[in-house]
Amino acid sequence: MTGPATGPATVRPTTIDPEAVARAVAPLGAATRRALGDLVLSMADDEFVSGFTDSEWTGIAPVLEEDVAMSSISQDELGHARGLYELLAAILDDGRDADAIAYDRSPAQYRHAALLDHARGTWADTIARRFLYELADEARLGSIGDGFAPLSDLVGKLRREERYHRMHAVAWLRRLAEGGTEARRRLEAALAALEPDAASVFTPLAGEAELLEAGILTRPLAAAEAAWRADLTTILVPLGLDLQPQQAEARVTAPARFGVGRMSHGKAFDWLHSQFTMVRATDPQAIW
Amino acid sequence: MTDPLALDPVLPVRQRSERPWNDDLPHDERFAHFEAHVTAGGKIEATDWMPDEYRTAVLRFVEMHANSELMGVLPEREWIMRAPTLRRKLALTAKVQDEVGHAQLLYRVAEDLGKPREAMLDDLIAGKTKFHNVFHYPTASWGDIGIIAWLVDAAAIVAQQALRDSSYAPYARTMQKICWEESVHIMHGRDVVVTLVNGTPAQRDLVQDALDRWWGPLMQMHGPRSDRSKDRDLHWRIKAKTSEELRQEFLTIYVPRILELGLSIPDPDLRFDQAAGEWRYSEPDWNELRTVVTGHGPKSQERLEFRRLNREDTRWVREQVLGVAPVLAA
Amino acid sequence: MEPYEVFRQEKDGDPMRHGGNVLAPDPELALHYARELFGRRGESDRLWIVRRSDIQVLEDADLLHPPLDRSFKKPGGYVMRDKLAAARGRAGTTKPGARAAAHDTTGRRGASGPEASPSRGGAGA
Repeated sequence: MTGPATGPATVRPTTIDPEAVARAVAPLGAATRRALGDLVLSMADDEFVSGFTDSEWTGIAPVLEEDVAMSSISQDELGHARGLYELLAAILDDGRDADAIAYDRSPAQYRHAALLDHARGTWADTIARRFLYELADEARLGSIGDGFAPLSDLVGKLRREERYHRMHAVAWLRRLAEGGTEARRRLEAALAALEPDAASVFTPLAGEAELLEAGILTRPLAAAEAAWRADLTTILVPLGLDLQPQQAEARVTAPARFGVGRMSHGKAFDWLHSQFTMVRATDPQAIW
Repeated sequence: MTDPLALDPVLPVRQRSERPWNDDLPHDERFAHFEAHVTAGGKIEATDWMPDEYRTAVLRFVEMHANSELMGVLPEREWIMRAPTLRRKLALTAKVQDEVGHAQLLYRVAEDLGKPREAMLDDLIAGKTKFHNVFHYPTASWGDIGIIAWLVDAAAIVAQQALRDSSYAPYARTMQKICWEESVHIMHGRDVVVTLVNGTPAQRDLVQDALDRWWGPLMQMHGPRSDRSKDRDLHWRIKAKTSEELRQEFLTIYVPRILELGLSIPDPDLRFDQAAGEWRYSEPDWNELRTVVTGHGPKSQERLEFRRLNREDTRWVREQVLGVAPVLAA
Repeated sequence: MEPYEVFRQEKDGDPMRHGGNVLAPDPELALHYARELFGRRGESDRLWIVRRSDIQVLEDADLLHPPLDRSFKKPGGYVMRDKLAAARGRAGTTKPGARAAAHDTTGRRGASGPEASPSRGGAGA
């Protein structure tokens, strides 16, 4: 592990090739590059917070077998976050490595979707959140084109891993929906509590036009949201579950580059932030 | 066609069966066949007949092991949220996940011996069954995480390697899988410790402080010296080595590795006696061990209560959705 | 919840080997749990997941280790050392050198047949 002589320790990336990224970034215009950074940051922060929150189940899930499964899923999410932060570090090339981007920001600087800005909650809360998020993530990943090869390569790998997550989330959604009165009641309550934030994964980005033009996005986030709603319907309707998530707020208000759904975070995230910075903050320059 | 049973009087019973303790014989004969088989190194499967003494002994042994894996999750779990880099977070989550997996494997072995999992969890939470001493202590810092992953897991693996040849075959096979998985934990732990030792003075102090606090429990972990001839678990080959043999093995491998990092071990009497061919050390505090494993350690009650609360919170999932029947109170 | 036995194949072409078992309420979750306990590290190429109650067990010694001689069914049942010595004695020949080609009869993968060489035969015949 090497770094600049007087800067923080930097870690060699495990998932991406910084030189290949630098070559792919070079021909991009400044506005496109900025928009790309925003997109990758939003994806990375979503996976990071999702993985972190669900890692809390390690050791305390309802049955031991499910404990191991949920832990694998949370590790996958963190691995995806790591890959995305590594990609972002190479795109931004501002001296920060993946760990610095992941850990060394104040809470207000994180750009994860409001859907993920909830505490772990009960098993029903977690399954509801995972279900909504996994389907949204699938729609988002399905919107990434090959305009920027390092991202489309990484997304190809993420999609393969996410298949298992979807299987697990849907299996458990069905089980709770059909698992008796109490299980169903808890699931319905969990979905209702998340309804206002459910579509926040599709919060618009200021640079969507640039991303569409560069072929980095194949469709606007609003179109991905529509695909997500159709997907939700095919699963929820046969189970007799009703969800009418509010549309992700359509505008981005300058100078912000993200819509409202990614701009503010609550106490649950403040707590999470205090945890994950606790050791690192004792010496951000040190190698851990 | 000749009635195959007509051959019975021709062949003696012993020749007819490879596993004579499974045959319809008087108890004393079955016991004698079983004991001869096991003490000669033979293996027993879940479907074999077993004397009550053996079944009880294996179950108690495996149950305590399973409990220890499950409780061992808790000291490290807090630090999953606090790991200072993405890689450390992934590694620590994976390690704790493995401990849960080991608990699952071991409870499965115990279940197949006849005790339902819910009953074992009830007994653990009620304090009726035990778990290893080291999991009753607090984890004060990231330094503790390195020391535990390295040295506590190392002490455990020394014991577990000896169990790979246990007479109870389902347990022996599980030990082989567990040992393979634990070897990664030790590497992760050692990597954390070596990184800290190579870091800032504050980081070095962190790990030395952790070692100072964990050395006592580590030395107690394998248990007091026992008389080989009186140890029934050794007699039945459930385990193969004595507490002292395991402790000596641990010291032989790990003392040099600790000292080579420039760390100091907080026992001025620790030294290798060349003439005797064994390690000398300050007598561990066996009172402390007894106090701790009977549920009076610094974190014993808090952790059992944590388990109890979590179990209550998730009860509806097991009973409503997975169809797990609760154990009726005796 | 009931036990499902899990068999795993470590790499291409290997036999399925018993890995252990998981408790699950049905085959769908049994698949998830088998993957977790026996495949989360990428250590298996394939898993078979079978409900324990669907497995027939045969461990009857009368069927698997019947008492009468069956050495004619196994390689160890053919010891020719003395006969070969007698035949060489009669023919005035010596035992072929240790490096003479022979079949590898172990049945291991990758074992090749005899080289095309003038000396054939030898212990493996």
